[in-house]
Amino acid sequence: MYLTMSKSDPSRRPLRTFFSYAVALTSVGAAVVATLGLGSAMKHTPTLFFCSVMLSSWFGGVWPGILAGVLSAIALDYYFVPPLYALGIGLEEAPDMIAFVSAALFVSWLSGEQKRAKDSLMQARDELDARVQTRTAELEQTNEQLQAETAERKIAEDGLVRAQAEAAHASRLALVGELTASIAHELNQPLGAILSNSDAAELLLESAGPQLDDIRQILADIRRDDLRASEVIKHLRALLRKREVELLPLDLNEVVADALRLVDGESRRRGIEVETELSAVLPAVRGDKTQLQQVLLNLVRNGMEAMAESSAAKRRLTVQTAGDPNEEAEVVVTDTGPGISPDRLPRLFDAFFTTKEYGMGLGLSIARSIIESHGGRIWAEKNADGGAAFRFTLPNAARLDRRNSENATVG
Amino acid sequence: MTQATATIHVVDDDESLRTALMRLLRAAGYAIRTYASAGDFLLNKPENAPGCVILDVRMPGPSGFELQEAIAKLDESLPIIFLTGHGDIPMSVRAIKAGAVDFLTKPVRRETLLQAVRTALAGSAERCATRELLHSLRSRYESLTPREREVFARVVSGKLNKQIAGELGTCERTVKAHRAHVMEKMQLTSVAELVRAADQLIGAGITAMAR
Repeated sequence: MYLTMSKSDPSRRPLRTFFSYAVALTSVGAAVVATLGLGSAMKHTPTLFFCSVMLSSWFGGVWPGILAGVLSAIALDYYFVPPLYALGIGLEEAPDMIAFVSAALFVSWLSGEQKRAKDSLMQARDELDARVQTRTAELEQTNEQLQAETAERKIAEDGLVRAQAEAAHASRLALVGELTASIAHELNQPLGAILSNSDAAELLLESAGPQLDDIRQILADIRRDDLRASEVIKHLRALLRKREVELLPLDLNEVVADALRLVDGESRRRGIEVETELSAVLPAVRGDKTQLQQVLLNLVRNGMEAMAESSAAKRRLTVQTAGDPNEEAEVVVTDTGPGISPDRLPRLFDAFFTTKEYGMGLGLSIARSIIESHGGRIWAEKNADGGAAFRFTLPNAARLDRRNSENATVG
Repeated sequence: MTQATATIHVVDDDESLRTALMRLLRAAGYAIRTYASAGDFLLNKPENAPGCVILDVRMPGPSGFELQEAIAKLDESLPIIFLTGHGDIPMSVRAIKAGAVDFLTKPVRRETLLQAVRTALAGSAERCATRELLHSLRSRYESLTPREREVFARVVSGKLNKQIAGELGTCERTVKAHRAHVMEKMQLTSVAELVRAADQLIGAGITAMAR
């Protein structure tokens, strides 16, 4: 690593060159000293010089190798080739000397080439490394950006869900406000019966020889009416409770029944006959009970208001649930009012679009956002025998699970 | 006209409430009949019996107000007490203006309800008495001969026998005899009573008396 770093660093090249030649000089010097020291113990005098040439060329490349070769040849000639301690060469020694110099040059060239090949390989590897690092850094940055964007989007989505829940809650409050008369009636009816029953019981007890059976019957009726009143309050509280939206498994038929109970008084007052056609086998669906009740109440009330001008005998509202267990579930609210003119159909679910004199035009748009957040669809159409039909679907819970798990494995 | 013969009619679509009211009013000593709807009441109510109606406003079919109008048209002496689960000011004004005795909301206190019932029944008794009085006045008036009616009209407009004799072209003694017959048939003893009877007859539209 140190080598590759120094190679790729141009500012360090002169130092390196200096070292290379220094190695050549030093190694040749060392060879001279060592060979002189060993003296006649060494059979082949050029061995150590050969080593110094190899070392220099391996370390510094061709030119330091050649330098070491030339210096070795001179040193050999000077110290070890007769005449000793003089430059000059006899015929007898010339072939050996030539062989040495040739071998030294060849080794220098070979080592140098090998060195160059290794260096370029290392350089290529360095470049590749650097590129990989750059790309990795780029990728990491992109990834961070993506994560930041995802987080931002999640925050926005959460905000949307919260805003939608708030809007739904606000419109539920408004809805209940509109139903106040009806709900008060629903509550006061049993309360009135309870009070009159207890008054009656008191009078009976004051009379001579009260019939205990009558009193017992009165008490049973009081208990029943009390439960009836508390049921109304329970449903009302469930409708008004402000809480996180939860998509839980639910029974659509029960949702329909609960919603209709709240408009029971309203429908009676308006002289509307309310019919239900609830399918006993429905697909399993998941949803927020309160929000779905809200959608239903909205559709039912719209239907009732649409029939205000209809003749009394014709006022009929039908709520149906349907759906094959393997398909999506469908809920249909049908009225016998004047129906919806085709030019209004496309805008019906837009916010602030209303056909009512005092309507805000939010009911249906909130209904749509609720149904869409459940993964379903909502639309209106003309009923075959007059009036309007509002339909909404909810996805099959089992199929939804399957799709989700597939998405999870893909992701 | 006593409480014993008066009947309280309860019209309410809520069976539980109907039963409770019936028990209470029965325990308080009244005769009760209950009806589930306005139609039920109109079909099954007894004719010309004194009493009162306790009426719910919201009912399937015709509302309490519509039934109130129908009862008013029938000229029954049946005062109406409204008893509603949810009442507001416009509703109560409408009810009272149309002649209701009271407009009560459920749940109603026993004393409030019984007080309203007492008022209503008293009103009913009074209306029955008036009606009966008018009825008898009318039959007595109808028993008069045309000549006696002429004399009746002139007496109550303050004319002297002599003037009446002049107008009818007869003698004073004959007018005196007619006058005695009128008093006898109307079962009255003074001219003042006769004047009041004439007022009542005119007020009820029974006769257009030439004055």
